[in-house]
Amino acid sequence: MIKIENLHVSVGGKEILKGINLEIGDGEVHAIMGPNGSGKSTLSNVIAGRDGYEVTQGSITYRGKDLLKMKPEERAWEGVFLAFQYPVEIPGVNNAYLLKAGVNARRKHQGEQELDAMEFMQLVKEKAKLVELDQSFLSRGVNEGFSGGEKKRNEIFQMAVLEPSLALLDETDSGLDIDALRIVAKGVNTLRADNRSIVMVTHYQRLLDYIKPDVVHVLADGKILKTGDKSLALELEERGYDWVREEAAA
Amino acid sequence: MSSVLNTVREAAWRSFEADGLPSSRDEDWKYTDLSRIAAVLGESWWSAEAGEAVAADEYQIPDLNAYRLVISNGVVDLAASEIPDAITITPLAALLQDDPDAAVELMLDDSDAPFASGVTALNSARASDGYCICVAKNVKLDRPLHILNLSSGGAAHIRSGITIGSHAEIEIIEHFAGSDSAAGVTNSLTAIRLEAGAKCEHYRLQLESSKQWHLGRVEVNQKADSSYTLHAVELGSALSRVDVVDDLNEPGAESELNGLFVLAGRQHVDHHTRVAHEAPHCRSREHYRTVLDGRSHGVFNGKVVVAKGAIKTDSAQSNANLLLSGRAEIDTKPELEIYNDDVKCAHGATVGQLDKNQLFYLKSRGLSEDEAKQLLTFAFADELLAKMKSRAVRRFIERAAFAKLPNLSGLEDMLV
Repeated sequence: MIKIENLHVSVGGKEILKGINLEIGDGEVHAIMGPNGSGKSTLSNVIAGRDGYEVTQGSITYRGKDLLKMKPEERAWEGVFLAFQYPVEIPGVNNAYLLKAGVNARRKHQGEQELDAMEFMQLVKEKAKLVELDQSFLSRGVNEGFSGGEKKRNEIFQMAVLEPSLALLDETDSGLDIDALRIVAKGVNTLRADNRSIVMVTHYQRLLDYIKPDVVHVLADGKILKTGDKSLALELEERGYDWVREEAAA
Repeated sequence: MSSVLNTVREAAWRSFEADGLPSSRDEDWKYTDLSRIAAVLGESWWSAEAGEAVAADEYQIPDLNAYRLVISNGVVDLAASEIPDAITITPLAALLQDDPDAAVELMLDDSDAPFASGVTALNSARASDGYCICVAKNVKLDRPLHILNLSSGGAAHIRSGITIGSHAEIEIIEHFAGSDSAAGVTNSLTAIRLEAGAKCEHYRLQLESSKQWHLGRVEVNQKADSSYTLHAVELGSALSRVDVVDDLNEPGAESELNGLFVLAGRQHVDHHTRVAHEAPHCRSREHYRTVLDGRSHGVFNGKVVVAKGAIKTDSAQSNANLLLSGRAEIDTKPELEIYNDDVKCAHGATVGQLDKNQLFYLKSRGLSEDEAKQLLTFAFADELLAKMKSRAVRRFIERAAFAKLPNLSGLEDMLV
């Protein structure tokens, strides 16, 4: 699905990512864990195409194409989706409009017929159930006045509607109480598919109790220091990150 | 003609002749230059001739179910109007002719009034028509009154008065529009008086032609527990200057002034507002937003005065400005004058471009850069239009505003 090679990224002249190598196959679920300030969010933002990140070296190949050459919206059309750590409030733009515009922009890009209002409403009703969101929120402003939990659920709801090939979940578990976490995890698990890869970026292993990853990476000091399976996450939870650093330095 | 009326009007004319139009040396006119008006409309611009009259039917607001009062090039056209039986409407021309003593009150020119200038003096001297509306006490008009001011250039000085009796209610849509067959100037002064407990929802829609200069004044005088709401929209004209003077004279009066400018090209729009809390326990709200593209220039000056003794005043004012172009300009100045302690007053102004995080969020969901920008611009303006109770007017303005900016695909879906 995606192959990242020797990726170096600077923000404001300071190098944050210092040679990331990462390959994620179709249908795989990867977790990227690491302490604060390790570069986790930088990685997801660079993949989604946010401004302000300078790629100084390396490449990202997504389904055989050079991802770094694409604009953010082109990445979305090609099936890249970022669930934001801090979803933005956009008063005055309603959720339904945003989603319809997003779905149809992608369908148009793929040469498919755009959904009409009826078809679209059917789709969103079905998907809203997945994350237990009340339909009334569709006519509200994007994330306007939403609680932290509602914002995160809305991100997963958007993911369900937009049906991405590669979903990046940036600290999706942060700020969620246990009930909201369960709902979000259930939504994500329902969306696991052979043709959809998921990357969870997280500080805690709590989320991984609910969404079981195939592969776990430790990102610290701008590099992937260790890769393992689910048991690595549990070990991190128990022992912290320092031993990984020491092991890598040795 | 009554000699008092003559004296009043002659004095106003002499005042205009002596002082002329305000100049940019005058603090209230610092950003708005009327000096070119003679170059555009001719030496005797105040009596410039209009072009061919325009048909009222072309300027209707879709889906609006309203009574109608048509003023064509400054002259009330009763034949084209649909007047409700529940209220009385007398054209100023008839009043000047038949009841000059009654006309005097309306035509008085107070050179000490806030923002009084050569423009208001000229209106007092030259207005030959307009309307006097009287809503008797307890009358609640069942449909809005659409006052269509049509112009095809030339000079029109319109003077009007609206008196709303105690506990009466009326919704007024003052709508300025016209053809660009000739350059012109509209000089409109509307005085609104609300008796105790009266309510007025006032839409003031300025969609004049690109060759028109628009000079407007709204005077509001409120008694106890009355409620006045203004929705001022500025889309048209080459230059527009509107002064709003709202006096909350008795306890419990409430007012809300909402303003939206959407400007492009070299348009210039200036609103000066003054809300005076003269009595205790009054509440005022003011929200102005501007969207400025091209080389357009917006001016907002919002003054709130809290008089001595006006305790428990509750006033809030906000002004947000969105600059879509590096060459657009906004001059904003919120002002507070408070003469006692026991009050709650807030004000603030912001000037900015579109929010980068919001833009990225929309693009990450598949909207193109242009679509994302248009959508955020639309949302910024529409948040203010959402305060309008009339859905038909809101839709009409949404469409008119966005016809000026690049088209937003699927706009209909936005209008939830």
